[in-house]
Amino acid sequence: MDKMEGSFAVEDMQNVQINIGDVVKEAEEWDQPMGPYPCPSISTLRNWDFKLLNRYRVFYSPICDRCTLCTYGPCDLTGDKHGACGLNQAAQQGRIVLLAVLMGCTAHCGHGRHLYHWCLDKFGDIPFNMGDEILVDAPLTRTITGMKPKTLKEFGPVLSYIEEEVAQLLASTHVGQEGHYMDFESKALHAGMLDSLGKEVSDMIQIISYDMPRGDEDAPLVECGMGTLDKSKAILITYGHNIAGSAEAMFYTEDNDLWNQVDIGGVCCTAIDNTRIGEGLGYPAEINDKYRMIGTKGKVAGAMGWWRKLVRAGVMDCVMVDEQCVCTDALEECSARKVPVIATNEKIMLGLPDRTNDPIDEIVDDLVNFKMPGVAIIDPIKAGEVGVRTAIGVKPNRADEAAHTFLSDEEFQKYAESCTYCHSCQFVCPPHIKIGDVVQEAAKGNLEPFSSTYEICVGCRRCEYVCPQKIPILSMFAYANQEFIKNHKFKMRAGRGPVKDTEIRRVGAPLVLGTIPGIIAIIGCANYPNGTKECYDIAREFVDRGYIVTTTGCMAMDMSIYTDEEGKTIWEQFPGGFDGRNICNIGSCVSNAHIHGAAIKVATIFAGRNERGNYDDIADYILCKVGACGVAWGAMSQKAASIATGFNRLGIPAVCQPHSVMYRRAFLGRVDKKEDWEIIDARDGSRIYCEPAPEHLLYVAESVEECMLMMSKLCFRPSDNSQGRMIKLTHYCDICMKYFGCMPPDWPLYVRHASELPLKWKEGMMKELEEKYGWEIDWKRKAIIVPEPGSDKPGPIRKTDVSFDPTNIERKIRVKK
Amino acid sequence: MAVDTTKNAVPFEMAQIPGPEMAKTYNTKVIGAIIKKAKRPLLVVGAEFFEDPEMFDKAIEIGKTGIPIAATAHSIKGFIERGYTDNVHMIGLQPLTSYLRFKDWNGLDGNGQYDVVIFAGIFYKFSSAMFSALKNFNRDIKRISIDRYYHVNANMTFGNLAFDQDGYHEAVDEVIAILKK
Repeated sequence: MDKMEGSFAVEDMQNVQINIGDVVKEAEEWDQPMGPYPCPSISTLRNWDFKLLNRYRVFYSPICDRCTLCTYGPCDLTGDKHGACGLNQAAQQGRIVLLAVLMGCTAHCGHGRHLYHWCLDKFGDIPFNMGDEILVDAPLTRTITGMKPKTLKEFGPVLSYIEEEVAQLLASTHVGQEGHYMDFESKALHAGMLDSLGKEVSDMIQIISYDMPRGDEDAPLVECGMGTLDKSKAILITYGHNIAGSAEAMFYTEDNDLWNQVDIGGVCCTAIDNTRIGEGLGYPAEINDKYRMIGTKGKVAGAMGWWRKLVRAGVMDCVMVDEQCVCTDALEECSARKVPVIATNEKIMLGLPDRTNDPIDEIVDDLVNFKMPGVAIIDPIKAGEVGVRTAIGVKPNRADEAAHTFLSDEEFQKYAESCTYCHSCQFVCPPHIKIGDVVQEAAKGNLEPFSSTYEICVGCRRCEYVCPQKIPILSMFAYANQEFIKNHKFKMRAGRGPVKDTEIRRVGAPLVLGTIPGIIAIIGCANYPNGTKECYDIAREFVDRGYIVTTTGCMAMDMSIYTDEEGKTIWEQFPGGFDGRNICNIGSCVSNAHIHGAAIKVATIFAGRNERGNYDDIADYILCKVGACGVAWGAMSQKAASIATGFNRLGIPAVCQPHSVMYRRAFLGRVDKKEDWEIIDARDGSRIYCEPAPEHLLYVAESVEECMLMMSKLCFRPSDNSQGRMIKLTHYCDICMKYFGCMPPDWPLYVRHASELPLKWKEGMMKELEEKYGWEIDWKRKAIIVPEPGSDKPGPIRKTDVSFDPTNIERKIRVKK
Repeated sequence: MAVDTTKNAVPFEMAQIPGPEMAKTYNTKVIGAIIKKAKRPLLVVGAEFFEDPEMFDKAIEIGKTGIPIAATAHSIKGFIERGYTDNVHMIGLQPLTSYLRFKDWNGLDGNGQYDVVIFAGIFYKFSSAMFSALKNFNRDIKRISIDRYYHVNANMTFGNLAFDQDGYHEAVDEVIAILKK
């Protein structure tokens, strides 16, 4: 009998085979028992979800009133109608939300799975070692699965767990399965949690394989911006999120000493990850010996919103695409400009011939001589070599094309004059640029409107698709901004990776007490409602105010392209630690997981909570005690939906930009329902009515001003001590005064004691509490009199109590009353 | 009637086609009359007024007819700068819409749920989605847009006047005139 791997035959017993799938080792290194929910299935944490959803009511704003997913349809679900299958509008919206979150989740997890196989192939089973300063090394993995991987290979079961859950969740969206919106949302929260786990696995694998920084607050500053790409060399753009092929291009360039001939610039998260390679603690040796600090040779061409601007600016000779957030017309755009495209990942093959098994010389020859516009090569090493050699080889062959990158003066004028001012472009422009006016002004010779709206344009190209005159509007933008493009040179701090345990120890107490007013996580894509600068403004506002500001992905890149009066980028203005008045570039999209991880580590390292298989307990701690708020001011993709939903299940609120209504749902609290804000005091099980802190879990803001105000408000937590509450309230009121010209109308909700009033306005606020709200004030002591419980007298919702131990979970009650 | 607000019934973002139930455009006379007839109307205005500040003055005129104003985003600032805050309430558009869908909500002034909401000056996609929320989850509230866009998820709306600033202002003035009668 043939024996499978992991099998053995017992002699003297015929036709018997004992299969041992996994040897489960009781991990002796755990210093805590397994928690109640290791590897939760799709309904295990439903109770926690319902606690969240009963407080943060699900709010749907349907984009489509119909369901067209089965042959009964289309069904009109408007209002109280049901579809033929029985589903109503709310459930259908929940179903669509779940599908979107699953798309995002699988994008991250598929990324992780690909890296898992690739890195095992390339590096073998290397140790999972995050260095001496990160001992709680995979907080989401520990909390969700109860596992503690020790090697790269041990992340395999974590990925398998995610994949099984995803299959079950996706199955529930089939017609005739789940039927209630609350359960769809519980499942979406589960998918969001899985997304966070998949991100952690992905980033941990690439950190240990490519020796990326392991919590380095002094990660190097790297070059960022279109103007940093040296047009005297060949320019290879690597575009997407998966570093496998792009890293090989960098290694090939290094091995063959070709940096004087080629520049490698990344777009989207591949850009961030390129610039992290070889900057870690020195292992694995293979990377350290040959490629130490190679990441600093890569350049950040731009965030995803800059892709088409880069194309029109002609800063590329060859493009390698990998996965996620790649404009799917990349081949069309590139082939029109004789830029060969290499698809390097099975998830994006663009209809190109699969040349994985062909000789490299032949592929390069075909590409540099334009025998084909592009190829698919599903072998990162081969793709990397082909990318570099093609970029170098094709550069002279496309010299004519490059010489005509920009429209000529005559062409520009001709297009400008051909505009009929029909406004079709304006009907489709996401940030509502008055494109017709911009073009009309250009026809008169005034290019200023083209300049001032260049950073507002999100590069979607919808204007060009609808223009009846076929005006290449993006090319007109490029023509008008040639100087801007040339001077687009900045510095970005390379992604530092996870937050160190030592940093958590330093900030744990101030965060939980509120004296550091909060952790701000600026994350997500580049579909800004009003230009890239707003992400710099948000970051600057909160760093200046002493919040811990973390960022990842496209927003990290976009905030890099602005400077202060001294010409310093935000990375040069502030240090990169996880502390107040610092700004951390954590890394790419998948590095978001370390922001979840930091919040978990506050619970475990600072508060001593057991995280192992104990998700709801940790999430409850974060919701009650860790003032953190995410903001996705350019949220675009389904990944942004899964990221935010993952934050939400872990008790972290998120604020999104106005286009985010396309996600169809929010989680919003009702301040007028006192009973929604009842929280348990874990000391004795008593139930306390609390202030609405945080008031919402997922919120769409209409303007950046509203976004910043809401971010500051969503950092309030019931656990804030009086000093912490005063600091948070000061920022909340100050932001409101600054951008709204008044105090926020709900500030009294957050006052429990006179010492919590901002010093700047204390006297006036006390008067207002007395005169407008009828609170009893003891002016001699300058104190607020708190009414007795049960009294009808107006006053604070509750008094301050430094020992109050808020929880939403009954099993956390220590002594029952 | 000077301005024909029934023309151009095309969603401002053209792909914004929700389904079988789509808004009808009405002339200013009908829209004005419906608002005037409302028992608990609420004017909801947003931050786009900062791009067309004259609209703040028009909103104040409406406010002075007794219709309360919900100032979303940071638009309260425009009212403060003009010294008019009497019946202006600062609230985010999304939480406001969320409250509007609950029949047991007591309104911004504590006097009960509204029967007509009138939107103006709000980022198109956002207000469209909020109209959709009400269209689907609280059909007791009449949804009126006096914004410069054709709003597909409203009950009653102007056609697109986004590229005719003067015409749009004139249309709003006509509505105000009816409210003042």
